[in-house]
Amino acid sequence: MQKSAWKAALAVGLLCGVAGAGVAHAEGMASASMLANTCGACHGPNGNSYGPASPSIAGMNEFYLTETMLRYASGDRPSTIMGRIARGYSEDEIKVIAKHFAAQKPARMIMQEGDAGLVDLGQKITRELCDSCHEDDGYAAEDYPILAGQMMTYLRYNLADFNSGARDLEKNPNLSNKERRKKIRNLQDMHDEFGEEGLEAVVHFYGSRK
Amino acid sequence: MTHKMNRRGFLKYTGSAAVVAGVGVAMPRIARAAGGKVVIVGGGVGGATTARYLKLHDPDIDVTVIEPNATYHTCFLSNEVLSGDRTMDQIAVTYDGLKGMGINVVKDSVTGIDPAAKTVGTAGGETFAYDRCVVAPGISFKLDDFTGVSDAMFDTIPHAWKAGPQTALLRSQLEAMPDGGTFCMVAPPNPFRCPPGPYERASQIAMYFKHHKPKSKVVIIDRKDKFSKFGLFTQAWKDLYGYGTDNSIIRWVNGGEAGEIAAIDPSTMTVETDFENVKADVINYIPPQRAGEIALTAGLANDKGWCDVDKLTFESKAHAGIHVLGDASVATKMPKSGYSANSQGKICAAAIVALLAGDTPGTPSYVNTCYSIAGKDYGFSVAAVYRYSAETDTIAGVEGAGGLTAVDASAEVRRREVAYAYSWFNNIVKDTWG
Repeated sequence: MQKSAWKAALAVGLLCGVAGAGVAHAEGMASASMLANTCGACHGPNGNSYGPASPSIAGMNEFYLTETMLRYASGDRPSTIMGRIARGYSEDEIKVIAKHFAAQKPARMIMQEGDAGLVDLGQKITRELCDSCHEDDGYAAEDYPILAGQMMTYLRYNLADFNSGARDLEKNPNLSNKERRKKIRNLQDMHDEFGEEGLEAVVHFYGSRK
Repeated sequence: MTHKMNRRGFLKYTGSAAVVAGVGVAMPRIARAAGGKVVIVGGGVGGATTARYLKLHDPDIDVTVIEPNATYHTCFLSNEVLSGDRTMDQIAVTYDGLKGMGINVVKDSVTGIDPAAKTVGTAGGETFAYDRCVVAPGISFKLDDFTGVSDAMFDTIPHAWKAGPQTALLRSQLEAMPDGGTFCMVAPPNPFRCPPGPYERASQIAMYFKHHKPKSKVVIIDRKDKFSKFGLFTQAWKDLYGYGTDNSIIRWVNGGEAGEIAAIDPSTMTVETDFENVKADVINYIPPQRAGEIALTAGLANDKGWCDVDKLTFESKAHAGIHVLGDASVATKMPKSGYSANSQGKICAAAIVALLAGDTPGTPSYVNTCYSIAGKDYGFSVAAVYRYSAETDTIAGVEGAGGLTAVDASAEVRRREVAYAYSWFNNIVKDTWG
């Protein structure tokens, strides 16, 4: 069979559903809740995490979630386990999962206490370097991931990965060149001006938002 | 708004309409609330998840969970109790979360299920009628015919393979053991609950010995020549416990080296094999396993002691109207793990909601994620996303996805896997019991 013909047959098979062996009655893509609910045992019911590390994903921008899963799958974004899991889904499934979590209401399942001094410093740093993208002290979800109330451990890992280069913004095709340059510059400034304490202050500030 | 086009311009522009459309997807409310009575046998991970997700899908469904214990102790992270890194209270969960959702939780033991009359009978003399029954009994033991093995032995030689008093007993024995003593585990043959569990247990106990009783040894007498996460565990043992050297804390005797086990003698505290007698201060005998007793009593198990099910709905192949899930079921490529039971509970709940409403169950999505903690800051995992294969009638892992932590993962990755393992615990407990 020619490749194109084979592809066409496959497409028809997918659309019509392949006849199963008696018991096989379900065909086609799983529903949004069926797909998304499998995430809850690590990310918390409805995507609101009890921590300490797995991030909350409820109420996140669906396009951020989609691109994140795709970049975990490709390996462009480093992960411990998410790459292995993300590769288990088609792009269409990922979009459905992302849309599902975007529609969930964010909630604080645990309150993370920040060190008062670090929170103050963190507020100063984030308003100088982060707030033009992560608006409203990190509460905004319009363009970028919500950072307010995110798990401190997760924030710490990601700042460390930006800093080490393991998480490379150059590999993110969804940022405009201008935005990419600005983010890289600001992250560099954060480290140069405020050092390790500054990174920790940012973690404490965002993590402790009520 | 032009500056926003410069930010995440492409995605934002094309996506704005879809964002609006996406609001309100949330948990699907079934258009016609069908109601119906569901009786769930067992309040472990599989049973509790099914109960909770039935109620989330359709609050009109009358859900009863029958469970003999008022407090459930999770098997997951119970190995940390053995090392002293966690307390029994930290693996205890109650049924208050389920009760708070309007689920009827009955403290009783199910003694029989009548699939024709569609009723469940209990030791307390009660009878519960159902439209759909869910049997999630976990495992029971199929004791070996070694000399010395009996049900009575578990008071002195714990299995600790159902978390609870057995876990506390094994911990107290390890604490009482003198430095220089030997802990001997007799590991189970396949298939069994939590495939990496025995080896995580050996690791956790080795960690306890290393820091508190450094002259002590762990001996694993196995019936197998390989086990789950084999490369990762043996690497961890080399990195942490001197495995492969003369001073190794852990000695693993594989099936070939052990030969046949002849006796486990509680009076002399000896495990006798074809090739050696291991004298130990603490013995942990993990017996061969099969589905929980009620599954056998109710005629749900096959001749190997496990329950064959329709992999799309977890409905029993033996009796219509009864679903079996979790460790007791034959889920083919899905391991007998807590995450599997949680994932299956959600699939089973969705299927029951559809069946009660006279609809065709939708396509399931299955996931397993399993962490092991081999020592301080030393974690690793296995994960898989599965799809049903009609061709082979299996729940098959998606090719190119899933798999293990790399054996050569960095110390930072191993450290993070521990943090994610603890997150897994916190979230799966809430996702399961509320």
